[in-house]
Amino acid sequence: MARHSSLPVTFIVPTLAILLVLSMVPTLYAIVIALQNRELSSTAYSYVWFSNFYDLFFDRRFLNAVWVSVKWEIVTVVATMAVAIGLGVLMFEVASPRLRNIYCLLFIIPVLLPRVSAAFVWKFAYHPLYGIATYPYRLLTGGLIFDPLSKPATALFAVASVDVWQWGLFFAVIVLKLLETLPPQPIEAARLDHAKRWQIHAYVTLPMLKAPLISLMFVKMIESLRSFDLIYVMTRGGPGVATETLDMYAFSQGFIESGKVSYASAMAVLMMIATVITFTMLWKRVQA
Amino acid sequence: MRPGRLIGKTVLAFAGFMAVFPLLWTALNSLKNNVDIITRVPRLVFTPTLANISYIIGRDSVMTGLYNSVIACGVAVLIGVVLGLPAAYSVARYPNRWAGDIQFFVLSLRFLPPVAVAIPLMVIWLQLGLYDTLAALIVTYSLLTISVIMWLAIPAFQAVPKEVEEAAFVDGYGAYSVFWRIALPVAARSLTGAVAFSFVLVWNEFLIALMLSSSNAKTLPIVASELSQQGMNVPWGILNASVVLLSLPPLLFLGVLSGFLNSVFRQKKT
Repeated sequence: MARHSSLPVTFIVPTLAILLVLSMVPTLYAIVIALQNRELSSTAYSYVWFSNFYDLFFDRRFLNAVWVSVKWEIVTVVATMAVAIGLGVLMFEVASPRLRNIYCLLFIIPVLLPRVSAAFVWKFAYHPLYGIATYPYRLLTGGLIFDPLSKPATALFAVASVDVWQWGLFFAVIVLKLLETLPPQPIEAARLDHAKRWQIHAYVTLPMLKAPLISLMFVKMIESLRSFDLIYVMTRGGPGVATETLDMYAFSQGFIESGKVSYASAMAVLMMIATVITFTMLWKRVQA
Repeated sequence: MRPGRLIGKTVLAFAGFMAVFPLLWTALNSLKNNVDIITRVPRLVFTPTLANISYIIGRDSVMTGLYNSVIACGVAVLIGVVLGLPAAYSVARYPNRWAGDIQFFVLSLRFLPPVAVAIPLMVIWLQLGLYDTLAALIVTYSLLTISVIMWLAIPAFQAVPKEVEEAAFVDGYGAYSVFWRIALPVAARSLTGAVAFSFVLVWNEFLIALMLSSSNAKTLPIVASELSQQGMNVPWGILNASVVLLSLPPLLFLGVLSGFLNSVFRQKKT
């Protein structure tokens, strides 16, 4: 390589400078706004320091939103990984190479859809009277009505199913590709020892793929933070506050109900601190 | 093992059906009159109509949304290519002691909750008088496209055999022409995948666009979501048609992206 070239500097410095400005300005400004008492309705404001944060700890809706976000994170990540590993192994076991290619193409389609589209598709499908997904229930029960999106007990799972529909199927493709990269010898050896198919995967192949599977889970954890579009279109946080995640609550505080921009920003700052710390620690562990 | 295989194949076939059927059903509904959609028993046989689609295409708000989406995403991706690809090449080929930190910084931009970026940006754009303009949206999206393209292009450039580039140096090429004439063309396939991915990401983006636009700069996802806010008064066929219109552009990249996936995992094998 040419050692004395200006290329490394001219190629990276402008880009990094722009990235730093574009990311640090809003981040720092979010903190500044969180320390003020800005509202959408007026231009006057003053510094109230930590009072927004203090108020948050006594806001039961905020605490509910934290709990809903945690539930959302756990449900979607676990279900996505389960679907991905299940279908990935199945494709590896029973599908011919040609069928594998077809399934791979089909399974990538949902994740490419805008989340707004995916949310609409399923909102129609879950409609209690005319939905295609609730039709089998109507058929079997002779016309009873099941409305998954408006029951507090099922709403979160109904929305989460759309997220899993998009990501679980996509990750199944990746799990299959990972399985295909494995050397065949350990699998052959296990087969010679009369291991059953599921045993081969549980004790040989999946442990061999531990590192990439953990990275995959890490990616899903980050992507699960972006639940806003699905929830906004499908339930708007309802019924009641059953599906109101942190970003949904911050949005409705800041823009729909009261226009308390600073209060919303305080929430966003807490989210940002929590996610940056959590994911930095996780990333360092994944890399180690 | 035989019955097990049969069950496995059935489960797979069902999953494949589930992957596309809801979308196909939506596409079918976009061709139906309202009476054929609002039925207790789903109808497969109906008289098709193009009324929904022509209504959608004829509506000013939808066309403006489409125009805004194309411009905002197109320009942001272009900026991402111009700034992201050279930076990625520099990290991949001229590693220094900050290379790891730079990669982590680029990835960590993805940890930021969109709402935490959107609220301050809204205030900033309001103060600069740029709120609800495409320029504001483009600048904001550039953060996304640059970081994603950089993140995906670093391994793509690393996969280019070093010998090819070294041979070019021996032939008297400068560092810049090696980038232009060797690295870019050799890595082109993976890079196309990375760029397509960044396009799909910003095309599908919703929260930031929702918060940074009020009327002029609305992108297509926002327009589509607003159609539904009018509740069931809007004929479902029209809503379904708008969903189809919104979903088509990302699906055009299906081939490119699945090829990209294949090439990523083929590299890992060797």
